[in-house]
Amino acid sequence: MAIDDRPGITIPNRIEDLPTSQARFIGRTVDRVEDPMLLTGRAEFIDNLSFPGMLHCAILRSPHAHARVVSIDIAEASRAPGVLAVLTGEDCQRWSQPTPTVPEGWGTYCLATDKVRFVGEPVVAIAATNRYLAEDALELITVEYEELPPIVDATKAADANAPLVFEDKGSNVMLQRVFTWGDVDGAFAAAAHVFTETFRWHRLGANPIETFGVISQWDPIENALTCHGSFQSQYHMALARSIVLGLPSNKVRLMSQPHGGSFGGKGGARGTDITALLSRKIGGRPVKWIEDRMEYLAGGSSQSWDRHYEASLALDANGTVTGFKVKLLDDLGATAEGWGAVSAAKPLAAFTGCYAIPVAQYDLTIVATNKLPGSPYRGMGPPPHNFVLESLMDIAARELGIDPADLRRRNYIPKDQFPYTIASGNEYDSGDYDLALDTVLEMSDYQKLRAEQAAARAEGRLLGIGLVNTIEPGVFDWNAYAIVGQPGTGVPEGATVSIDVFGKINVKVGFSLEGQGQYTVLTQVLADYFGVELTDVRVVPCDTLSAPPHFGPGGSRLGVSITGAALGAADLLRQKLIKVAAGLLQTEPANVELMDGKLQITGVPGAEIPLAQVAGAMIARSDLLPPGVDPNAEATYAWTATGRTPADDQGRAKSYLTAANACHVVLVEVDRETGHVEILKYFIADDCGTRLNPANVEGMTQGGVAQGVGAALLEEYCYNEDGQLLTSTFMDYLLPSVYEVPMTEKKALVTPSPFTPLGAKGVGEGAMHTTPAAILCAINDAVAHLGVRATAVPASPHRLWTLLQDAKPGG
Amino acid sequence: MATPRTITLSVNGTTHQVTVEPRTTLVDLLRGDLGLTGTHVGCEHGVCGACTILWNGKAVRSCIMLAVQADGSEVTTVESMAQDGELHPIQQAFMEAHGLQCGFCTPGFLMSISELLTRSPDPTDEEIKDTLGGQICRCTGYQSIFTAVRLAIKKLADARAAGGSA
Repeated sequence: MAIDDRPGITIPNRIEDLPTSQARFIGRTVDRVEDPMLLTGRAEFIDNLSFPGMLHCAILRSPHAHARVVSIDIAEASRAPGVLAVLTGEDCQRWSQPTPTVPEGWGTYCLATDKVRFVGEPVVAIAATNRYLAEDALELITVEYEELPPIVDATKAADANAPLVFEDKGSNVMLQRVFTWGDVDGAFAAAAHVFTETFRWHRLGANPIETFGVISQWDPIENALTCHGSFQSQYHMALARSIVLGLPSNKVRLMSQPHGGSFGGKGGARGTDITALLSRKIGGRPVKWIEDRMEYLAGGSSQSWDRHYEASLALDANGTVTGFKVKLLDDLGATAEGWGAVSAAKPLAAFTGCYAIPVAQYDLTIVATNKLPGSPYRGMGPPPHNFVLESLMDIAARELGIDPADLRRRNYIPKDQFPYTIASGNEYDSGDYDLALDTVLEMSDYQKLRAEQAAARAEGRLLGIGLVNTIEPGVFDWNAYAIVGQPGTGVPEGATVSIDVFGKINVKVGFSLEGQGQYTVLTQVLADYFGVELTDVRVVPCDTLSAPPHFGPGGSRLGVSITGAALGAADLLRQKLIKVAAGLLQTEPANVELMDGKLQITGVPGAEIPLAQVAGAMIARSDLLPPGVDPNAEATYAWTATGRTPADDQGRAKSYLTAANACHVVLVEVDRETGHVEILKYFIADDCGTRLNPANVEGMTQGGVAQGVGAALLEEYCYNEDGQLLTSTFMDYLLPSVYEVPMTEKKALVTPSPFTPLGAKGVGEGAMHTTPAAILCAINDAVAHLGVRATAVPASPHRLWTLLQDAKPGG
Repeated sequence: MATPRTITLSVNGTTHQVTVEPRTTLVDLLRGDLGLTGTHVGCEHGVCGACTILWNGKAVRSCIMLAVQADGSEVTTVESMAQDGELHPIQQAFMEAHGLQCGFCTPGFLMSISELLTRSPDPTDEEIKDTLGGQICRCTGYQSIFTAVRLAIKKLADARAAGGSA
């Protein structure tokens, strides 16, 4: 079985259809090819690189949330020891443009010009012979500010008298629209039950252990720019730099270095522009900037999802959900530069979760405030959305006296209904939600957990069970974000596969290491396809000018996409090799097949030539090449999901190609005296189709649980009323440690995708989609009988303790 | 700017005499002057543990320690672990147990665990947790790291039983 990706190209939909009698690597856990260099500290993370003549950048940042820049005095700093260049907003106005944004027109220059809009905004940058001297010189800069009243509370951002973040816009509202899918009013009018609640998801974010870093070098003769950096998507970063810095796109060369995690929140646009302009100002010496952690927390791509929700669920008398309405006020911060608005659009890809809810509505308002611009973060918006939907499902279950597992089961999309188009327009490829639920109920011994809960409550302890299942939309497409102004359909990912004269395989790609193990997956696929060992395959990361079309990791996409690219390129190469082998075997190409690393005549035992010999003949024996075959054992293929549709006027599109799903059950205990939550047990049944590398999937699932625990209980960026960030270190912004993250019990389910290479679904964000909702549902299950309800994330001890003060007496 | 000081320290068994400003952090000395870039910087305020090294055998944060404090001491970094092209048993265990993803925090974990297993070759789960509790990993959710430590304990014990020196 194969997916017909393009005429003449065969991409197998099942591992069994690879040209091997027995796949030895793909679908199995193997040692990662990335690991030896990472374990020995040899990976070339950006701060490990150094170039001759390199200078070091330090950045002076705004201490105010909102202020006019009256004057900047850099005279003394310019004369400080080791300083070679000082860059200000004036230079940026002369040499660059405000950064492009989604929604359009809400960007600024990389250094402040007329005013500052958030605490931590870059104002002046210095290049010096080392970072210590650069930071010394920052202290010699005098900036005179005229403070302006800040807008910090998003609920007041649209008020007529609110201070304006961008005066020329005349409003702080970046986007306001209502998307209606079906007769929502009718459904709610006819409903037997309607449940409405408000929810608050506070700011949190990615915090990879490596911050962003870059080395930029301007070429003043060629008028060209080369940057090495921890870029998550080097190609899109390069395109935007071309626009911002006024360079032809083929004069901008970006190279993504291995980086220490991203989770969507690596960022780096400002740092890249600042170092590029500093390098330009000093005539082309390379300039390095490594963001420090406090810069990251206050001024990096660290903050996401500052959201105020009001949502309603309509049900009929049988507990069938008939409608779902969400009103979201999304506080994007000072600009739209961080691409965070896209997180308000992505929920359309799985708006109604696992449920067959026929109609829905999304009332979306995105506002600007004087806080750090919002960025993407693992999950890109659905984690808060799922928290809202799943909390409402629990509220409905509780009010109607139905077990939360049963209410969910009644509303699942039945497994025979796939592919299934949801109200918000996306199509789910496949799934079996009953199976996931049954599996996790059995794993957790759900009834026994209920008994445990009852026994504990009799002792006055607050135990609660959360049961949540979600969809993880996988293989993102730009069309999913059309409602916030993102253009495009299709996200090509390419691979160039070549075989050398000794039969060794190289594969060139446009992304670097980020942690998900994609080099290993790529190696597994190609080793099985060509019947070679893992060590015979080498992945070669290329820069933006030499790589095939690429996006890189993001949107639960790369595992599927790069598998498609590798298999497409392998198929093109196979077709070439067959022509050459047919000549060598003196038969017709139609009689020749690739199997287990040999080109053989079908059905004739022994009539075969090893792969290396055929590739060698292509490169070194032109006299043996059939006409029309080039002397190049290499092929390039760019894969993108087929059948994607542009969004209609209500934002509906076939966007994310796959719908993985997972069902989590968690048991928590809430300490009534302190508001502290302890996770006692955690079970996961997870279905992401074919697992290309089970350990990769399991690792990302557990990592997603950890970030979900952080979101649910610990992590929060707090600003005071003046717009000052109060959580500017890891002493205040709390990342989960081994003490908070549960060791989970996991079970893998496999409902392959009918549409993807090898049947794999996008994976990596699913647990982050699910865990925060599951923990909040568990907390409410523990405290509901006290007459209180937790509706804010994170459910920190203080927040829960405050809530519990309102508990019913005697509860 | 204070007068630079000349210090002598042993790093992974090699003696270095270097002249540094008193404010230079130990991690900047290791990564910059000595070119040992395997030790990473994650937070620069002593919380995340990515920069953990061994100072006279004790696991310490090299981002909040000054280079001059290491004068006369023995420092061990991740570069010391693999020998003759072979991974150290703890590194091997991390690979087999999938104890890393992006790998940025990993050198810090390796050094902490190496200290633990030198001090306590057969630690309890609580001891392991106590050690891992000082390190932040944003990728793995710790479960596979825990497994890796258990595997490393076994590998080291097997090596000792076989009379190896690891």
